[in-house]
Amino acid sequence: MLSRVADSLYWMSRYMERTDGILRMLRINYASSQDDIQEFSWKPVLRIFSYVDEEGATRMAHNTRAVLQYMVTDRENSNSVLNIITRARENARSVQDHITKELWQCLNDFYHTIRDEKLNHDLQREDPISILDILIKQGMIYFGTLDVTMARGEGYAFINIGKYLERGVQSADILDVKFSDMNYDFAKTDTTYWKYLLLSISGYELYLKTYRSGFDARNVVEQTVLNEDFPRSILYSAGQLHRYFERLKGERNQEAFRHIDFMIGKIKSKVRYSTVESIMAQGLHTYLNGIKDDLYQVGIALNQHYFAYT
Amino acid sequence: MHTSELLNSYTVDPGTWDEMYSEPERTGGSLTAGQTLDSVRGQYRGVVDFMQQMSIEELNKKEELAKRLFMSQGITFTVYSSGEGIEKIFPFDIIPRIITAAEWKYIEEGIRQRLKALNLFLKDVYTNQFILKDGIVPVEMVYSCPHYLREMHGFHVPHDLYVHIAGIDLIRDHDGTFCILEDNLRTPSGVSYMLENREITKRLFPDLLPGNNVRSVTDYPNILHRNLVSLSPRQTAHPTVVVLTPGIYNSAYFEHTTLARLMGVELVEGRDLVIDNHRVYMKTTSGLQQVDVIYRRVDDEFLDPLVFNPDSMLGVAGIMSAYRKGNVAIVNAVGNGVADDKAIYTYVPAMIRYYLNEEPILKNVPTYQLGNADEREHVFASMQKMVIKKTNESGGYGMLMGHTASDEEISRYKMEILKDPRQYIAQPIINLSSAPCYMNGKLKPRRIDLRPYALCGPDGIQIVPGGLTRVALREGSLVVNSSQGGGSKDTWVLAG
Repeated sequence: MLSRVADSLYWMSRYMERTDGILRMLRINYASSQDDIQEFSWKPVLRIFSYVDEEGATRMAHNTRAVLQYMVTDRENSNSVLNIITRARENARSVQDHITKELWQCLNDFYHTIRDEKLNHDLQREDPISILDILIKQGMIYFGTLDVTMARGEGYAFINIGKYLERGVQSADILDVKFSDMNYDFAKTDTTYWKYLLLSISGYELYLKTYRSGFDARNVVEQTVLNEDFPRSILYSAGQLHRYFERLKGERNQEAFRHIDFMIGKIKSKVRYSTVESIMAQGLHTYLNGIKDDLYQVGIALNQHYFAYT
Repeated sequence: MHTSELLNSYTVDPGTWDEMYSEPERTGGSLTAGQTLDSVRGQYRGVVDFMQQMSIEELNKKEELAKRLFMSQGITFTVYSSGEGIEKIFPFDIIPRIITAAEWKYIEEGIRQRLKALNLFLKDVYTNQFILKDGIVPVEMVYSCPHYLREMHGFHVPHDLYVHIAGIDLIRDHDGTFCILEDNLRTPSGVSYMLENREITKRLFPDLLPGNNVRSVTDYPNILHRNLVSLSPRQTAHPTVVVLTPGIYNSAYFEHTTLARLMGVELVEGRDLVIDNHRVYMKTTSGLQQVDVIYRRVDDEFLDPLVFNPDSMLGVAGIMSAYRKGNVAIVNAVGNGVADDKAIYTYVPAMIRYYLNEEPILKNVPTYQLGNADEREHVFASMQKMVIKKTNESGGYGMLMGHTASDEEISRYKMEILKDPRQYIAQPIINLSSAPCYMNGKLKPRRIDLRPYALCGPDGIQIVPGGLTRVALREGSLVVNSSQGGGSKDTWVLAG
């Protein structure tokens, strides 16, 4: 496979995973913002998913419609869903002969949906959940089409490598920002806070089934970092990342393969042999930052050994 | 409103050949309903019957569906304005253009003969130059052509094939005679529209195609792939064939990806390729892989910055030396522009007689070379009846339509011509044939041309039964180029 093609597939996939993360986050936070019991602020979402400065974040913190517009359809915000989808589509467009026609059409439709002026208008005026659901569903069509139509070759491996690398970084980010927002106070017992956090990463029901006995910050960390069955946990993401990377093993490029295989294996072991206690002992922030750095290093190494074409 | 009214409102322009209506008395103006239906040509009966069963609302819905399908499949080109790209589709008219089996047989034979001669001309002009020595084509005509490339001289291309893919533009005169308007022997585009327009028709009009005995065009990518594989210089079971594109910002990018996908070959950009020891390689995730055949959609000028335009970012440095060493096949051959130059065009009938000892089947449009003083004088005296074209431009750029230009435009254009008359030709304005188009609930005659695509391989010339019919969508316009407000139609060739 051409290096340029592998690069584009990897980024298409990262952008699509990011889109899904942003949309779910917005949907649940919107619901949370309508819950008047707590002091709701959009700041954490803006900090995780955009480059807006402190002043801008403060300005928008309590203006739901402004945040939705900024995060979904804003043309200036380089991390708005509109711009991320545009980039995902540009990547897909340059590798149309490597993805199925169905997958290309799905991304192309997503692009036209998000650029529709009516959608932007409805986002300002109508029920935002309905609009976000339309977009989330379009993303689900992408994931389904990918699964049903794409051949399980090298391209599929790069798509999944991008997907799980992005997801690992995202889960670490969400957890860190949410905890920093309450100064890493593990004694906080505000159940709605944890409930919405778990809902935004589709982990609420699993939490209830696993822990039954009310909300404890330690359990939230355990599920999001260490639960192997939770598809958004860091451990699961690292495992999948490793699984798909192993598929690149071949006759050629062996040295590069071994190098990156070692890096990913190390991340996986590091997470697998952590416990909530050992994480707390290290400090959650330090621990999550370490994982994020390691994942970024994998991205850089992939770029160097697999994608370099200039 | 019912569609019989839709058909009634159709009026054929006087002195014009209409594809749907035969109009023996050439009166123009409205005809009565009975007359109208009687004068529908046989090949269009099926479509007319079908349309009459439909309401305007249904037809409008079909038109909407067509637009949506093009948009959703990304069959679009991008217009950049105020910093962001806007997706546009090429206008598509839902009513097919229909060619009978007899007409097609004639076109096919004519194109085959012409390409045979053009290919011999290219071989000759880059090797022995017999045709120049015998004075059939003037030497200065060839040497003054900017697309004649000395870099190609004395080099034998595989199988002596220069033109692998040709798009030949045909028009119909007022009496229905097919004439050649232009040969496109470099990187003719539009074939993806031939394929996609057909796919759209299948969706718009279920069962209409088989019911009308329309020949299929789907074989095109298979034939092309087979021809490309056969050109591989390396004797290997699976030679590496690639399509070389200038990239996603090229207006024909959709076509490049479609062809790569339909042939199952890699679509590469210049930056994906590298030359080592006069061999071409592509950069893959598992190292370098040798490339054997390149179907390039990059113009000669940008192909190799070491040989041609040094600023080119689209080509590959050193690719010409790999080509000349015979380590890679390039399709179409480099330097073909000398054969589809609009002034050289005048000599194609002479080439056919010279190389094949045959009379040309398809006629040229009368053409005046403005480099020739007598002809120039004649043209300058009757500019209103002429269309003036630049010899090395395509896409309808640099063209003057004498009947619509103002006096001022004409005199300004004359000044331009006098600066370098060799670069201009003139042709009398041909009244292109018209075909019915569905526009705002009515049928309107619009002028059309036809571009069939011919594939030449070591085993001969194959022409897929179909092509691209371009339409001048503006009322009264005779210019069909997409850059000048043209659209397209699905093109049907009927089986006998």
